[in-house]
Amino acid sequence: MASAERGDPAHILARDGLVSLHMPLVEHLARRFRNRGEPYDDLVQVATIGLIKAVDRFDSDRGVEFSTYATPTILGEIKRYFRDKGWAIRVPRRLQELRLSLTAATAELTQELGRAPTVAELSRRLDLAEDLVIEGLESANAYNTLSLDAPDQNEADATTVLDGLGGEDEALESVEYRESLKPLLAQLDTREKRILTLRFFRGMTQSQIAEEIGISQMHVSRLLARTLNELRAGLLKE
Amino acid sequence: MSSTGQAAEVHLSIPADSAYIAVPRSVVGNLAARNHFTVDAIDDLRIAVDEACALLLPQASDGVLDCIFYIDPPQLTVRTTATVPNGWLPDTDSFGWTVLTALVESAAAESESGRLTITVTASATASEKA
Repeated sequence: MASAERGDPAHILARDGLVSLHMPLVEHLARRFRNRGEPYDDLVQVATIGLIKAVDRFDSDRGVEFSTYATPTILGEIKRYFRDKGWAIRVPRRLQELRLSLTAATAELTQELGRAPTVAELSRRLDLAEDLVIEGLESANAYNTLSLDAPDQNEADATTVLDGLGGEDEALESVEYRESLKPLLAQLDTREKRILTLRFFRGMTQSQIAEEIGISQMHVSRLLARTLNELRAGLLKE
Repeated sequence: MSSTGQAAEVHLSIPADSAYIAVPRSVVGNLAARNHFTVDAIDDLRIAVDEACALLLPQASDGVLDCIFYIDPPQLTVRTTATVPNGWLPDTDSFGWTVLTALVESAAAESESGRLTITVTASATASEKA
């Protein structure tokens, strides 16, 4: 492919060949994200775009094995897809309105009490049943469920190009692990990094962070969950 | 909360499948909400239980996670147990464990007869005024 010009029939043929050869890789990577509320077919489509981008950018003269090179590009495409979706889990109107009320009441009560409110306090302030308040709080969050450290457990059915690659260790050593975490932390945007730092290294509560940054506590909660989730996804190992 | 004044217990068994972790997460959120935890503390506890389950999930060799929630106001304790491969312990140097310990009062892992239990404890701190 390196010797063919873009648009040259030989180039297109070679490119298509590379893409179809690596579809199992695409499916394998898409499969890892299938429990997050997005249709599998959409994930495969997104991952294929990543593969095509990787193929177009691949410089075979560099001597890097294509599969090794393509994986981060494909993963990046999938992660960007989730980020752009903004955790769009469809929320019914009444829940949206409930969440707005909760946000306002939480901010008010936090001011008055000097700490985050309890559900009972929110319930009294809004004159709503506690169950409803709990429902509203729950719907404000979306979490994934893979441990920050666990590899994808559903590996059994994956026979892919990757299986041919040299064996990566199942459990990374601590040093290697921290090294793989660092670039992921670096990839977070400024606000994500700030929230993570304030939460885990300065020990601030979500309400305190909310006040510091100027957003609602529920928004902090959602961003925090999303950031941890991105780190989990990034730490998924082949 | 029980009439005898002892800690009340809620027991839950789920398939060791990521789709089900939402269940103990929801249960602990509900229990914490009713026991005067602030919204911040509720969220922290939910994430902690999520992480504890997620740590055990890939190791659960018989496909089941057992959760027991002990309600002893102001304290809430969650013990998550699974049958794991011989000698497996969660890596306490890992990022996941670090996050876990940052979110709750205490977190511990104990092994007994091939069963690994992760215990997390949190307390409601708010004295309600509003």
